Amino acid sequence: MEFGSIALASLDFGTLPQQLVNGLLLGAIYALVALGYTMVYGVLRLINFAHGEVFMLGAYAALFVSWRLGFSEAGLVSNPNLASSALNLVLMLLVSMTTGAIVGVLIEFFAYRPLRNEPRIAALITAIGVSLLLQYGGALILPNSPQPSIDERINPYRSAVVLQLKGADAHFEGDIQQAQGKYDIAKTAFDTALTREKAQFGIDSEFDLRDQSPRKTVQAAESDLKRLQSEKESSEVRVVIPQGQLIMLITSLGLMLILRWLVMKTKVGRNMRAVAHDFDTASLMGINVNRVISFTFFIGSALAGAGAMMNATFLGTPLDTFYGVKLGVKAFVAAVLGGIGNIPGAVLGGLVMGVAETLVVWAGYSSYRDAIALVILIVVLLFRPGGLLGSSKVEKV
Amino acid sequence: MRLIDEMSGIMQMRSWRWAMVAVAATAILSVGCKPAGEAGGTTPAANPTAEAGGTPTAAVRPAVTAKGNEAAGDTIKLGIVGSMGGDLRPWGVDSVDGAKLAVKEFNELGGLNGKKVELLVEDSNSRPEQGKSAAEKLIQDGAIGVMGEVASGITIQIAQSAFDKGIPVVAIGATRDDISDVGNNFFRVCYTDSFQGPVMAKFAFDELSLKNIALMTDKSQPYSTGLSDSFRKKFEALGGTIADEQFYQSKETQFGGQLTNLKAKNPDGIFLSGYFTEVGQIARQAREAGIKATFLGGDGWDSQKLLTIGGDAILGGFFCNHYNNTEARPEVKSFMDKWSKEYGNTPGTTMGALGYDAATLMLDALKRATAANSAALIVALEDTTDFKSVTGSITLKGRNGNPAKRALVVEVKKPTGQVARKSYEFDQVMQ
Repeated sequence: MEFGSIALASLDFGTLPQQLVNGLLLGAIYALVALGYTMVYGVLRLINFAHGEVFMLGAYAALFVSWRLGFSEAGLVSNPNLASSALNLVLMLLVSMTTGAIVGVLIEFFAYRPLRNEPRIAALITAIGVSLLLQYGGALILPNSPQPSIDERINPYRSAVVLQLKGADAHFEGDIQQAQGKYDIAKTAFDTALTREKAQFGIDSEFDLRDQSPRKTVQAAESDLKRLQSEKESSEVRVVIPQGQLIMLITSLGLMLILRWLVMKTKVGRNMRAVAHDFDTASLMGINVNRVISFTFFIGSALAGAGAMMNATFLGTPLDTFYGVKLGVKAFVAAVLGGIGNIPGAVLGGLVMGVAETLVVWAGYSSYRDAIALVILIVVLLFRPGGLLGSSKVEKV
Repeated sequence: MRLIDEMSGIMQMRSWRWAMVAVAATAILSVGCKPAGEAGGTTPAANPTAEAGGTPTAAVRPAVTAKGNEAAGDTIKLGIVGSMGGDLRPWGVDSVDGAKLAVKEFNELGGLNGKKVELLVEDSNSRPEQGKSAAEKLIQDGAIGVMGEVASGITIQIAQSAFDKGIPVVAIGATRDDISDVGNNFFRVCYTDSFQGPVMAKFAFDELSLKNIALMTDKSQPYSTGLSDSFRKKFEALGGTIADEQFYQSKETQFGGQLTNLKAKNPDGIFLSGYFTEVGQIARQAREAGIKATFLGGDGWDSQKLLTIGGDAILGGFFCNHYNNTEARPEVKSFMDKWSKEYGNTPGTTMGALGYDAATLMLDALKRATAANSAALIVALEDTTDFKSVTGSITLKGRNGNPAKRALVVEVKKPTGQVARKSYEFDQVMQ
C-alpha cells in the first residue's frame, strides 16, 4: 500500500530482463499499427484517424474466420475436442490482413480521394468522421453485446518458453522436496476424509466437510509448496515468453522486414518514396500517384489487420467496435514519437513506447503508465520536434 | 550583435526546455508519491457508508422535499431504466425481463385492489447521461416509482434526478456504497461493495487458507478501486498480508508488466476486483507467466463470457455473487420455474433475479403503502422488514437503503460457469 515508499532502491532488478521482454512484446504491436499511420502521413500528409477502425475490423475478420473453422461457442459445445493447427492461424492472419487492406483502400477511395485537392483540414475532419462512422455504424451490424472473443483453443501454442539466465538458489531443492512430501501426506489424509464423509453424510464438496481439519492441513501444505516453488522461480533470473506472444513478436518483426524490402528494393516502393518526397514532381515524372496512395493504404492497413488478428487471438481480448480506439491512440503517439512519416521511426517509437510503459509498471507506478508514456513523448518532442528519427527542418515556402 | 542575440535566444530556448522537463519530472514524482488509496479517487472520509460497511450510520440522509407523482386513473405506473443497448446489454435485458415477469405476475393475481400496474421501460444505452434522461422521461410520464440500474455510474444519475422530483428508486445491481447518500428516496436490492470485499477476504482467509494475497485493480472503475479497498481492510484485519497492488485500466490487453511484478512477490492468491473482460485476460496471461496463485473476485466476474475469455486459466477461481440458479431455497426454485415458463430458458446473469426482486419489492411496498403515490411508497419501502426475495431476505428499515443481505461465494467451473460454494449472512462477516 505504501506507494511512495517504493523507492528506487527497492526496484527488483531480477525481474528487469522479463520486463524488458514484456515491453518489446507490447511495443511490437504498437509498432505494427504505428506503421500504418506513418506511411499514410508520409505520402499524403494526412493523419488517418480511421486506422484504429481498420484494426478493429481486422480483429472481427479473425473472429469470423475462427467461428467458421468451428471455434464458435456453439461449435465447441457440439465438438469440444476440436483440434487446431498452425494452418488455422495462418488462414486467420491472411483473412485479417486482406480485410484490413481492402477496408483501408476503400476508405481512401471514398473518403479521402474526393478531397485530395481541398484544404488538408477537410480530409482530417473526414478521417475523424470515418472513424466515428465505423465505430457506431459497426455497432449496429457487428456482434458486440455480449462482447465476443476468439476462443483460446484455436491457438495450438499455449505453453511458454522459459529462458533461464541465472539458476535458483540451491537450498530450494531440498525445501521443496520436503514440502512436497508433507503435501502428499496431507492430501492422502484429506482425500480419505472427503471420501468417508461423502459416503457417511452425503456431502457434495470439500466446503461442507464436518471435520475441517484435514482440509486446513492440506491447504496449508499446498500453499507452502506453491510459495516455495514461486520463491524458487523468483530467485532465478528468468524470462518467460508465452509462445503466442513470441509468435506475435516474430511475425511483427517479419512483416516489418518485408515492408522494409518493399519500400527500399521494389519499384512500387521507389514510387512511394518519390511521392512522399514530392507529391507534384512525382506525378510529373509519370508516377501514377493514385495507385501509389492506394498501395500505401493497402500495405499499412494490412499490417494493422495482422496486428489485430494476433492481439485478438493470442490475448483473447473481447471485441467491440471501439476495439481500435485505445491502441490506435497509442500507435499514433508511437508514430509521432519516432518521427511521423518515417518508417524505421514508427518501429522505434512503438518499441520505445512499449518498453517505457512496461518500465513504469516495473518501477511500481502501474497506475501512471499511460501518463508517463505521454510525458516521455512531450519531453522527446521538446528536444526533437520532428520525433526520434524524423527531420525537423523547416519547410521553405 | 545579431549573432549574440540569436545565441542568447537559443540559450533561453534551451533553458526553457529544461524547465519544462523539470516541471514534468516534479509532476510525476509528486503524483507518484501519493498513497495509493488517495490516488485511487476514493475518499473514504467523505463516504461514511463505505466506512461502516453499508451498515446504517448516524448520518441522516437528506429527505425529499418534492411531492412526487400520484397514480391517476385505472393504472398505476412504475418505471424501469435498463441498459437495453451498449456494453451492459446482457445485464440490462435480464433486469428488465425480471421486472416484467414480476409485474405480469402481480397483475394476474389481481393487481392492487383491481388496479393494474403498468411497467414503463426506458433504455439507458449503458450510459449515465442517457440513464438520467431516461429516468426523467419515466417520471414525466407519471411513474410513481423507478427501478434500475444494473451499474452504479448510471444509477447515481437516476437517484439524483428522482430525488429532485421526490420519486423512490430501487436499484437493481448498483453495488457502490455512496449512492445511498443521495437521499432517503434511494433503496437497493443488492448488497454493497463494502460487503462483498470482506466476504471474499473472509472466504480466502478461512476457507482457502490463503495468507498472502496480491490485488489487481482497474483504476478506471470506481467499482474496482472501492472493492479492492474493502477487501484489503478485511483481509488485513483477519491477519492476512496484502503482498502487492497493481493497477490497470479497462480496455488494456497486455498485463505482462503488472504480472511480472506480482509474481516476484510470491502471492498465494490474487484478488481481481475488475470486470470479467479484463479479468479473463489477466488470468490467462498470469497462468502463461507461470503464476499458480488462486484467483478471487467480485460480482464483476458474473458473465458466461468469463469462461470464453479466461479459458482454462480462470477455472478454479472464486467470486462473490448475489445468488445462484441452482440454489435449493424455495424462492429460487419458484423463480426459476416462472422464468423458464415465461422465457423458455434460465436467466443468463444474476440481474434477472435482481430485476425481479426490485419489482416485487416495489410492488410489495405498493401494497403496504397508504396511498398510491411516491411519498407513501418511500415510507413503505423504508419500512420493509424481512422481505423474502429470490436473492435473499431484504430488510431496509433504518438501513439507509442498503439491505443487510447474504452473499454467495461461487467457484468458476465448467460447464455452467458457476458452482455455489458457501453463503455468508451479513452478520457473519460484518461485526
